[in-house]
Amino acid sequence: MKTLCSPHEHLSRRLLLKGSLTTAAGGALMNWGGLFNSDAMADEVKKQGKRCILIWLQGGCSQFETFDMKVGRPTGGPFREISTNVAGARVCELMPRIAQKMDKLTIIRSMRTTEVGHNEGTYSMHTGWSQTPAVRYPEIGAIVAKYRGTANSDLPNFIKIGSGGGGAGLLGPQYNAFALDRDGGLPRNSASRLPAERELRRHRLRNFVENQFAQDRRAEPIRVHREAYDQARRLNNVRDEFALDAEWEKSREMYGDSKIGRRMMTAARLVEAGVAFVEVRHTDYDFHGDNFEGHKALVPPMEHAWAALLDDLENRGLLDDTLVVWMGEIGRTPKINNRSGRDHYVRSWSTALAGGGVKGGLVYGESDKDGVDVKNNKVTEGDLFATIYTTLGIDPKTENFAGVRPIPLAQFGHRVVKDILL
Amino acid sequence: MQINKPVQLWQLMFEGDWTTSVAFLGNSRRIAAGNKSGQVFVWELPENPPEPDKAEKKEKPENSEPPNFAPVRRLDGHTNGITRLCAAPDGKTLISASLDHTIRIWDVDAPASGSEVVVIDQKARERKARNKGKEEKGMILNAPGTKVETVAATHILKGHDGWIFSLGISADGKRLISGDDSSLSIVWDLASRKEISRWRGHKHTWVRSAALSPDGKTAFTGEYGGKRDNFDIPAAQARLWNSDDGTLKLDLLKIWTPKVKDEARTDSYSYSTVWVKLLGRGLVCASFSPDGKVLAVGQGGEGGGKIHIVDVESGKILRTVDGHRLGACDVTFSADGKYVLSSGRDTTVRIWQVADGKEVAVLTKPLGAKYKDWMHGVAISPDQQTVAAADISGKVHVWKLQS
Repeated sequence: MKTLCSPHEHLSRRLLLKGSLTTAAGGALMNWGGLFNSDAMADEVKKQGKRCILIWLQGGCSQFETFDMKVGRPTGGPFREISTNVAGARVCELMPRIAQKMDKLTIIRSMRTTEVGHNEGTYSMHTGWSQTPAVRYPEIGAIVAKYRGTANSDLPNFIKIGSGGGGAGLLGPQYNAFALDRDGGLPRNSASRLPAERELRRHRLRNFVENQFAQDRRAEPIRVHREAYDQARRLNNVRDEFALDAEWEKSREMYGDSKIGRRMMTAARLVEAGVAFVEVRHTDYDFHGDNFEGHKALVPPMEHAWAALLDDLENRGLLDDTLVVWMGEIGRTPKINNRSGRDHYVRSWSTALAGGGVKGGLVYGESDKDGVDVKNNKVTEGDLFATIYTTLGIDPKTENFAGVRPIPLAQFGHRVVKDILL
Repeated sequence: MQINKPVQLWQLMFEGDWTTSVAFLGNSRRIAAGNKSGQVFVWELPENPPEPDKAEKKEKPENSEPPNFAPVRRLDGHTNGITRLCAAPDGKTLISASLDHTIRIWDVDAPASGSEVVVIDQKARERKARNKGKEEKGMILNAPGTKVETVAATHILKGHDGWIFSLGISADGKRLISGDDSSLSIVWDLASRKEISRWRGHKHTWVRSAALSPDGKTAFTGEYGGKRDNFDIPAAQARLWNSDDGTLKLDLLKIWTPKVKDEARTDSYSYSTVWVKLLGRGLVCASFSPDGKVLAVGQGGEGGGKIHIVDVESGKILRTVDGHRLGACDVTFSADGKYVLSSGRDTTVRIWQVADGKEVAVLTKPLGAKYKDWMHGVAISPDQQTVAAADISGKVHVWKLQS
């Protein structure tokens, strides 16, 4: 008779805690599968308010190879412009599908940010602030989860498909992202392989021991630890129902047969199911060498999936309530180096917004003829985040506290870019 | 081909954008080069570089640059970068492939359509004007440009609908092969400009290299596509085709990786861990030997720049030469088939013995020394005495193999 179970036979406590503590979000995932099939879901989401999908281009997608082309200039590169469905607005030939969605987009061609490194830029373009040892600023997903999430929801309010970012910081770990794997599936370490009855017995025993332990201990980490464990355990209950394979087979052609396509589709379904903020990651844009071939490979599947996402949200009646943000941590240099690459650049670059609350068919701001500097309507990371929060119905001046120090959501001195708001 | 203390004769200035490709037209003194802006210039060089006058000779340091010479013609028409140039054996027909989706055929001797004054040595002038007096500096910088005749293409081949990465010509000059970024390869009859055959490779791959055997009957294509996502890498290919009908002759990668099961070749990420060792970031250059029995292919990208020498009949790699510190850019055989010349991102042009893979000459110095940029294209003159290389810093270097 087997007396001791081997680690792989059950949900490892250490593994589970590690996974759940690093990914814990606001709620658990009861009846996940059923949620996707609910016809009334779109209306329910509308009632709940605005949602946000962040398409994160890790490494720094080039503005010259997407939305701010300088054809014929020494900084231009080999790609050519194509017209869009908005007269006068032109984009890179790598994005034919997005070109036909231009009427849904606001392009900001005048980003001027502060952090030129990847880690620093990732932090600042997730939080709107530069890193400082004194304050742990929360990332945008955590803020949306707090102010636009649904309390006591079975679903997490902040989901990342992929990993990385700034964390919930001073908002507390309950607003941290729940991270799915790169294909949008549940993390492997979230599974229990024990029979349900046996798992329940263990849960009761653990609960009993923890209750005893907690009686004389009121510390926050103990509460968070128990909450995370409970969330992860409830998630395990719906593992069998969490399956998007069939949904993907139906949507594969629409989103393009790519991994980023599947992630975008998952994001649409999660938003439809009521998740307040979903971050979808597309990585490896850091082309210091072979920039043009790199973008030629990465941009087409991304733009295909992005255009499909906008269509999908619109078809489901969700686009008006869902803000889709497209950005990375940095732009790329105007100068093409002798590795056929572009390096990091934050003096003038581009981001894009679509959907809920922003105008379509708008190009905001302008860079100079070679894309070296912002010519007009400069937008900082503080301005961008304040604008996004305003779009989502969150006052960017709302304060949270780092100890006794009040910290607004968006940087001091920010400007809400009202020209892009509906 | 004889090599004995090679010496650089010329450094032809072609500023403005990366010089990508170079070809000899009939003899060692007529050279064409193309760049990433789509410009093509033709030079008619004198037999020998001018002797510096006494004053200049006295002033001239030992490591000074070889002389420049002005081009005589500009071939107008392309609207995006030149990727490859091929010269036909008649000495006057030049074929260019471009990112503008077209192949253009030029009669370099055709009557000019016009003329224009061009300045393609501005940086060289600025260097020369350094430390000169104001008046002399002005004279150097504002010197008149070079008057060149402009020539239009005689024919435009429009079978592709994307970037044309690769171009090759059979030794008899009768057939061309071209490959694009939609995995499409086309074999053309040069006289009639009609397609002989076409085929498509794997989804999401680009035909990065293409070559024809001397008789034009066998074609090689090297396919590669960039990473579309993490763990989402199109399967690279290296294949030999029957160019008459586009049927597959040999799947070289299957021969080179016999232990990989066929079904595993569709798992692009796992498979890439196997093929990347052989192909690097794709085989970006290829050339058949003059007898058609051997093929040389070079790995591109920023990794190693190995050159594989492949037996065409069996598909087996006979030997691999590994000298380029970064990826290879171009490769060609000497007319006697005894040597392979390759250029690379490590700023070198290297000459190898086919028989044993021994490196017999390096025409430039590696990165960090005299040259800072890739040697993108390389060509050897019909008389086998002169080698030219296209340097991305906007120069064409010309060497005599025997001093």
